[in-house]
Amino acid sequence: MLRFTVKRILGMIPTVILVTIFVFLFVRMIPGDPARLVAGEDASPETVEMVREQMGLDQPIVKQYFDYIVGLLHGDLGTSLKTKRPVIEEVSLRYGKTVKLAVLSLAWSVFVGILLGVWSGKNRGKWQDYLGMTIAVSGISLPAFGIGFIVIIIFAVKLHWLPAVGAASLKNYILPAFTLGTSIAAIMARFTRSSLIEVMKEDYIRTARAKGLKERTVVWKHAFRNSMISVVTVAGLQFGSLLGGSVVVESVFAFPGLGSLLLDSINYRDYNTIQALILIFALHFIVINLIVDILYALINPEIQLS
Amino acid sequence: MAKKKKEQMNSGQAEIRTPFREFVKNFKKQKTALVAAGFLICLALIAIFCYQIAPYGINESDYNSVLQGPSLKHLFGTDEFGRDIFSRILCGTRISLSVGLISVSVAAIAGSFLGLIAGYYGGILDSIIMRIGDTLFAFPGLILAIGIVAILGPGLYNVVIAVAVFGIPTFARLVRSSTLQLKNSVYVQAATGLGASDARILFHHILPGALPNVIVQYTMSIGRSILTASSLSFLGMGASPPTPEWGLMLSNSRNYISTQPHMAFFPAFVIFLTVLFFNLLGDGLRDALDPKLSD
Repeated sequence: MLRFTVKRILGMIPTVILVTIFVFLFVRMIPGDPARLVAGEDASPETVEMVREQMGLDQPIVKQYFDYIVGLLHGDLGTSLKTKRPVIEEVSLRYGKTVKLAVLSLAWSVFVGILLGVWSGKNRGKWQDYLGMTIAVSGISLPAFGIGFIVIIIFAVKLHWLPAVGAASLKNYILPAFTLGTSIAAIMARFTRSSLIEVMKEDYIRTARAKGLKERTVVWKHAFRNSMISVVTVAGLQFGSLLGGSVVVESVFAFPGLGSLLLDSINYRDYNTIQALILIFALHFIVINLIVDILYALINPEIQLS
Repeated sequence: MAKKKKEQMNSGQAEIRTPFREFVKNFKKQKTALVAAGFLICLALIAIFCYQIAPYGINESDYNSVLQGPSLKHLFGTDEFGRDIFSRILCGTRISLSVGLISVSVAAIAGSFLGLIAGYYGGILDSIIMRIGDTLFAFPGLILAIGIVAILGPGLYNVVIAVAVFGIPTFARLVRSSTLQLKNSVYVQAATGLGASDARILFHHILPGALPNVIVQYTMSIGRSILTASSLSFLGMGASPPTPEWGLMLSNSRNYISTQPHMAFFPAFVIFLTVLFFNLLGDGLRDALDPKLSD
């Protein structure tokens, strides 16, 4: 197991390096002169030159990349062009909120998704299956901002039960977490169902039934456990859509997290912050996938052998 | 000619079971998917003739009926400029469908091509293509699209490019794995033995084998692309006012959400319906291709 883990971590390194190169080149791909952009439209040529030197843009590109990596390793994400303060300050203020939102969303959606999937799968072809899968296919077709607006109208505007904006208390997380998790719950339900149906065809399920076990035991103890092996992978992959979706959901609920910071930075053309945030999102996604791979190998020892 | 004759000869006997015929036969059993296909055809007709059937012009302002709820005069109500939301939604169909179709087509063509080359030639070319694909995969979907629009600047064309780029690796992976399988099949080896050129083997022998998978992925991707594109417009990175783009219309309804919920509801509902039909059609095609789950 240790060997597998080490191998997977080493295999991740080239991807991480490529991601940093992509993100680094990102700022250089922007049309126009970044130094001119930072200095302002009507800055004198001397000022622009000064800014260029300050930003290190007069150095060879390889040296610039090297400096960037050294900075990253020291926890330096660059300086915000908007606030002129280190990007890491703003990020650390908001980081916890987005993580909390993501974890809450994933928790409810995986739970509900699996329940709905098992319910549909074990009642395959009956009305429960059709109802469950109609809910699920609707869930993946709904735009997050649409769901967000609808729950705001119902629970905040009409009923006054929950706050619509901000992140002041746990109550503020309920509507955004619901919105963000909907599509994941739907995907989980679809996947759990098909995985369960596959497993139900296995010989050991027939054996379990032949032994006269109760249907509930057959479904939950024999089929469910084995179908979870592939469901874990899907849950991990959904984390990516969670990070992307957070941008939309944070915008709808004016939620002060990393997603809304990304939007603000794009509107302000604060490229250093954009660069830092995209890197953060990508690195998180890579690490989550690594954890999922290791978990997968833990549940399914066949993987380690291959 | 010869092919036609052969078919005629066989018509009296039992039908030949080719994979494609099986696929068509299985697909005809998917009732929901057929209904979805019917709706999508209607939607395409709306997209083509939207300016003829829309009761009002998309930028026709009626300042006497600003912010009105649904009525017989304005089926979906009016917006802050007194524009008819129903007409704007009809004409938005053209935008959403073309953005979805164009971006996914570009992704499918480019991705399939890269996947074919990577799978067939292998070696360093394969490593390079798949590495870049893996790197693109490391960026969560929407974040990659947002990053690309941040570089290129806001606008519908750039949204199409962004959505296309983020679809390319999916198609490349899919076609690559089919190519790897088909490369060693007997009929491809026979063609190689007969001296067929690489281009002929790739496009005449391997690509048709990979096509069903590509079609399923294509249909599934369109729904997702329409969602992504409308999300980008919603975030202010796509279409700009006064374009009747659905995501943008929803975004504009923000300020009126407490008093005029119809402004948010109708655009959200049509996005939902359109994406739903593409997903249902995709599900049906998938089940027809791989009937394991539906039988």
